[in-house]
Amino acid sequence: MRRFIAYPLVALGALGSTLVVAAPALAHGYVSAPPSRQALCASGAVADCGQIQFEPQSVEGPKGLKSCDGGVAGFSVLSDESRDWPAKAVAAKATFTWVMTARHRTSNWEYFIGDKKIATVDGGNAQPDAVVTHTIDLSAFPGRQKVLAVWNIGDTANAFYSCIDLNVGASGGSGGTIPSTAPSTTKPAPAPAPTPTTKAPAVPIAEGGAGWAPGVAYRTGDKVTFEGKTYKCRQSHSSIRSWEPSIYTLALWLPL
Amino acid sequence: MRIRHAAILIAAALLLGACGTAAEAPPSQAPAAVQAAVQAEDGHNDTDVMYLQMMVAHHGQGLEMVRLAEKNAKRGEIRTLARAIEVTQRDEVKLMTGWLKQWSAPTTVDHAPSAHADHGGLPATGPEEIAALKKAKGPAFETAFLNLFIAHQHNAVEMAHLETKQGSNAEAKAFADRISASRADQIKQMLQLLNS
Repeated sequence: MRRFIAYPLVALGALGSTLVVAAPALAHGYVSAPPSRQALCASGAVADCGQIQFEPQSVEGPKGLKSCDGGVAGFSVLSDESRDWPAKAVAAKATFTWVMTARHRTSNWEYFIGDKKIATVDGGNAQPDAVVTHTIDLSAFPGRQKVLAVWNIGDTANAFYSCIDLNVGASGGSGGTIPSTAPSTTKPAPAPAPTPTTKAPAVPIAEGGAGWAPGVAYRTGDKVTFEGKTYKCRQSHSSIRSWEPSIYTLALWLPL
Repeated sequence: MRIRHAAILIAAALLLGACGTAAEAPPSQAPAAVQAAVQAEDGHNDTDVMYLQMMVAHHGQGLEMVRLAEKNAKRGEIRTLARAIEVTQRDEVKLMTGWLKQWSAPTTVDHAPSAHADHGGLPATGPEEIAALKKAKGPAFETAFLNLFIAHQHNAVEMAHLETKQGSNAEAKAFADRISASRADQIKQMLQLLNS
C-alpha cells in the first residue's frame, strides 16, 4: 500500500490537506489457506519477498489477468517460478479460505489452473463475510498444480489475485489440508534463527537469563536481560517485534 | 488508477469526517483513575484523536475474540497467543483512553467501526463476525478464529499507517508503529498456525 501514498499527494493535493489522509486504509483480501504465495511470504515460510510480506492482501489489478502478481511490478516475486514455492498437500476436494480486510461488493470468485477455469462462485454483488471459504473439486488435476484464485470486485474494475501451489490428492487429508507431523520444539536454541519452513512454527525455547530476542517461546517465570536490565516473564508467549521488555509490555515482562 | 485513488481519497475524507471530529460531549468520566504509563504530549490533531478512538473500539472487538480463543481453541499455542494478546491489548486500551482523557476527547466513537460500509468496504470485523465465531466449535473454531483475527490485525496495521502518515502527536505515532510491528508479527504467527 505504501506505493499509493506519494501519488495522491501530487495529483490531488489541491483538494485540501485532509483529503490525503488514509490512502492505505482500504485494503482487500487474499487466500490464507491453503497458503497462497503472498501468505507464504507473510508467514515467513518463503523469505526475501519484499513488500508483499507486509501486505499480502494488496495484490490488486484489473480484472481478466492470469497473473499471480496482479500486474503489480513491486509484487513480481509472486510470479517468479524459480522461487521453489512449497506445494501444500490437499485432498481432491480442497477448501480455499479468503481473508478479507475490506469487504468489497463481490461480482464473483474464479479459480483457474493454467488457462482453464475450474470453478466460479457467484458473489451476488453483495458484501462478503470477513472470511470466505470455497470447496473446489480438483479431482481432475492430481499432483502438483498452481491454482490462480481471483476475487472480482462488483463495484470497481479491479480484482484481487492469489496463486496457491498444491499437491492434489497426494494423500488423504480433510478440510483441504493435511495435518502436519508432530511439531519439533524441543531443541534448546537461544538464537531467533528465522529458518524458512512450511512446517509448524518451530519456536526456540528460552534459555535462562539470555538476552531477549524475537521468535522465542518464553514461559511464565523465564528471565531475560534487555538493555542491561533483567526481566521476568509474566505471561507465556512467543516473542515478536515490539513485545520486548518495556514500559509498554509490563503485562508480559516484570522488571526485576 | 486515477479513479481508484480518487475513490480512496474521497472515502478517506468521509471516514475522517465521520470519525475525526467526534465533537460530542464526552460522557462524564471519573478523573482518570487509570494513569497512563506513558505520557503523551498535549499537542495533537484530529487524526490522533480519531486513530485512538477507532483503536479503542477495535481493541474491544479484538479482546472479545481472543477471550473466545482462550476458551475454545484446542491447541495450546493458540491459547497462549490469545492470552498474550489479551494482556497486552488490555494495557494498550488503558494507555489510549488515558491519552484521550488527557486531551479531553471522548474515548468512544459514536458508532461501530463497521459503519464505514459505504466508503468502499466494511472492515473485517463486525458484530455478525463475532457472533459467528461464538457459534464455531472444535477444529472449525480455530480456523475461524485465526482467519478472522488475521483480517482484524491487518485492519490494525492499516489504521496504524493512517496515524503514522497523518497524525501529529509523537507518542501516538510511535504507538502506531509499535502496533504495526506487533500485529504484522502476530499475523505471521497466525498464518503459520493456520497452515501447520
